[in-house]
Amino acid sequence: MASKRTLKTLEPLGFIFPGVAILLIFVYYPLIQNFINSFFRFSAFSPSKIYVGFDNFKMLFQDSVVLTAIRNNVRYAIVSVLIQVCFGLVLASILEDKAFSKVAIIFRTTFFLPVLISVTVVCLLFSFVYNPMDGLLNRFLELAGLGSLARPWLGSSKTAIWATIAVSQWHSTGYIMMLFIVAIQKIPEELYEAAEIDGASKVRRFFMVTLPQVKEMFFVTSVVTVTGSFMVFNEPYILTRGGGPGTSSTTLAVHMYQSGFFKDMMGYASTLAVIIFLISAALAVVQLTAFKTGED
Amino acid sequence: MLVVGFILVAYPLFWILMSSLKKSEEISINIWSLPQVPQWNNYKVAWDKGISQYFINSFIVTLSTIAGVVLFGSLAAFGLSRYKSAWTKYALLIVTGGMMLNPQVCLIPLYQLLTRLNIRNTLFALIIPYIAFRLPLNTLLIRSFFLSVPREIEESATLDGCGSLQTYFKIFLPMSSPILITSAILTAYYAWNEFLFAVIFIDSNKYRTIPAGLMSFRDALQVDWGPLLAGMAISAIPIMIFFISVQKYFIKGMLAGSVKG
Amino acid sequence: MRKKFSAFLFVLLVAASLVGAQQKVTIKFFHRWPMEPRFSFFNQVVAEFEKQNPDIKIEMDSVVNDAYKEKIRVLVSSNNVPDVFISWSDTFAYNLVKSGRVKVLNDMLAKDKAFADSFIASQVKPFTFDGKTYGMPLTIDGKVFVYNKDLVSRAGVTTMPKTFDDLLAMLQKIRGAGMNPPLLEGLADAWAISHYQGTMLQRYMPAEVLAKDYAEATGEFTNPGYKVVLERFQKLVDFMGPNATSLTHTEARNLFLAGRLPVIYLQLAEFAFIKAANVKFEWDYFNFPAFADGRGDPGTLTGAPEGFMMSNTSKNPEAAEKFYKFLLSRENAAKFVKDVGAPVAIKGAVNATNAYPALIEAVNLINSVTGSTPWFDNAVNIKVADAFMRGSQAVATKDKTIDQVLRDVQNAAKIVASEAKK
Repeated sequence: MASKRTLKTLEPLGFIFPGVAILLIFVYYPLIQNFINSFFRFSAFSPSKIYVGFDNFKMLFQDSVVLTAIRNNVRYAIVSVLIQVCFGLVLASILEDKAFSKVAIIFRTTFFLPVLISVTVVCLLFSFVYNPMDGLLNRFLELAGLGSLARPWLGSSKTAIWATIAVSQWHSTGYIMMLFIVAIQKIPEELYEAAEIDGASKVRRFFMVTLPQVKEMFFVTSVVTVTGSFMVFNEPYILTRGGGPGTSSTTLAVHMYQSGFFKDMMGYASTLAVIIFLISAALAVVQLTAFKTGED
Repeated sequence: MLVVGFILVAYPLFWILMSSLKKSEEISINIWSLPQVPQWNNYKVAWDKGISQYFINSFIVTLSTIAGVVLFGSLAAFGLSRYKSAWTKYALLIVTGGMMLNPQVCLIPLYQLLTRLNIRNTLFALIIPYIAFRLPLNTLLIRSFFLSVPREIEESATLDGCGSLQTYFKIFLPMSSPILITSAILTAYYAWNEFLFAVIFIDSNKYRTIPAGLMSFRDALQVDWGPLLAGMAISAIPIMIFFISVQKYFIKGMLAGSVKG
Repeated sequence: MRKKFSAFLFVLLVAASLVGAQQKVTIKFFHRWPMEPRFSFFNQVVAEFEKQNPDIKIEMDSVVNDAYKEKIRVLVSSNNVPDVFISWSDTFAYNLVKSGRVKVLNDMLAKDKAFADSFIASQVKPFTFDGKTYGMPLTIDGKVFVYNKDLVSRAGVTTMPKTFDDLLAMLQKIRGAGMNPPLLEGLADAWAISHYQGTMLQRYMPAEVLAKDYAEATGEFTNPGYKVVLERFQKLVDFMGPNATSLTHTEARNLFLAGRLPVIYLQLAEFAFIKAANVKFEWDYFNFPAFADGRGDPGTLTGAPEGFMMSNTSKNPEAAEKFYKFLLSRENAAKFVKDVGAPVAIKGAVNATNAYPALIEAVNLINSVTGSTPWFDNAVNIKVADAFMRGSQAVATKDKTIDQVLRDVQNAAKIVASEAKK
């Protein structure tokens, strides 16, 4: 009888165990291991690790590339919130406006298409767009009589990071837009009708009705976008070949990759990963606390 | 403004299609014009020179990840929604916490771990981490659905003599198919497009998935742009059509995904 | 029913044991050319070998250049060393050898004199350390300036440069004739930068200084000559125009092939592309010129052989050796020359029947130079090379000064030295 009871208390474990075990082994264990690694110096191709105390962290503060990387991540975050979130919301509310209801579906689907393409295809596409000699962008500028604006977009340290950021906007704005469309569809129709009776213009209706109603979605997507901006790896890795020219378009994740897998400084790369972890954890806390207050 | 945006998005996509039918020299010289003679051969070259293998790998990885996520996720969700004890509380904490962790942070230890397990550079090196990193979100997604299942249904099942495992299989799984499909599609989107792990954990061309494979495809072709663009089109179009046809579920999953993670 | 079942089981067992008896020996082969035409070449060679040796199966795998550098080092440090694999020479090879898992070939070469003697001796040396040979070369290579004769003569250039100042004057003249840029390199490819810098360092610096600095434990890079070399490299970069940093080497080469670029720094192995493109212009080449004030031997050619190594932990050493010799046989080397169009280190494999005149000339050039300089990115620790290469990109985009770059290089060298000591 007693054994049957223990069986009963163990029963939920049977269901939960496989999933939690996978998480513990492949997510939590690496996380802890990464903290440990950051105090060592080691190479991917030798088994020996040397304890170096806080050396890696000291190196971090002397490494000017880290500053470049964080600055680029911040640029990513600012532009992404402005374009993906703010512009995405504007786009969503225009497409949900009754005046466009006939064509909305075409626009909506088109804007959403890039979301469905893998980042590699997008980056390869834009390497054609940005090609300095035969690229679409420079050729278009020449055609439009703006040849003086043509430049090596990915080859100049002044434009490389912005060109990279632009690709991400092209890729992801449709995603956030779609989330806002769903959020707007949930707004009760009466609110708009009431505003219309009050004689509010479309712009006013946007600020009076839409914006307050999607406030929570706005906040959540902002945090998600900012978090994503601090993790960004794919675009600079592919487009500017690991953050070039020089290190002008590098990001934290790219710098981590380069340090670990290219320069074979695995310990230092782990230290960079700790920084990435701290930033993302801080953002997660912001999201959690704010989301809790949103529920009240 | 809408029209400008439309052109900005649609033209490059159209350009891929158009240029994928051109000869490689034509692409750089007659950049705007339609192909003189459609080069369907580009598609054949792309397919034969590697895309087919990447496609198969992506398929295996995606399907396995979906199976793993849906199975382990729904099992855990069942345990987490139908029982209450100290254990489940901790487990829930572990799952919720897992959602906050980024793959970047675990990259190097995971690389070492997979090497030690002797599965780096196999498809398992992608499938297992994919499952691990997708489990938290999907477990919570499915759990929230399970929580809404009335107690009575479960009780009547118990009266009918169903054990908990049977209740899970015969009652919960069938009635939660919409949420399971949502979760499967969300997982598919992730597994099909994942790049970081795919590029770092796989060395061999023969195990590459599409996102990483296209990179080596570019390097291998050097300047043969026609087949490269054809390869890009092949890897984008089927999945586009698939996701548009299941848009309803996909958007539902996106919504849950973004709100919670 | 049961009988039928056990009969079925029996059949299965017999079938399984039959398959087991026929089990093949598997040899793992790893190279770095997933791209054409070499990819097909190796496929064909492997297929032919398997046909001749039905009991041996070759498991072939390949990844591109930069990825290969990383992967092969990981593999060699693990217990998964491929049975046969390709390696660069000199420092790169030496680092692999240090793992203790690369097979010493001396016994094999002593037993098979004919095989040992089929290679150009000078090209085996870069795989030999302390009297032990660890690899035999397949390809040989060198880096030279290739020029479009039509464009260059249209600019009025008649003699090719003997010194670096001549080279600058020549580029100036070409640019003056309205051809801009006169010289181009894909600076987005870090390794392409290292090819220039490796040569220039060799031409300018005293050999002993380089030997000391290239060694991990003693590298400092404090000699004032480094600054001079980087300044002169920047002079060349200034000719390349603003697009260089966003182009890859392949893109630059394509411009040359299309007749849109007068001069480019190419590997001899890349002659194959010129040949394959059926270019409509005349072309020729010259070695990197000397510095009037240089201390290094101007007669050397930058470039190094690549060759195959074997694992000394192989489970099937005989089969591996068989495949190894097959890969490097004169027939396959000749086939390589014919299919790929690049020079090889096997005597007599490049000849009038399978090679075009420029290739034969290229092999003669390699055989006639006073020495060869290994690729810079393979000669020094990657952290130092990265500081040079990334730094030079930043100088090209005017984001860093040469002094800053050298400081980064010196810091990297300090890290490398401290690691080498521990």
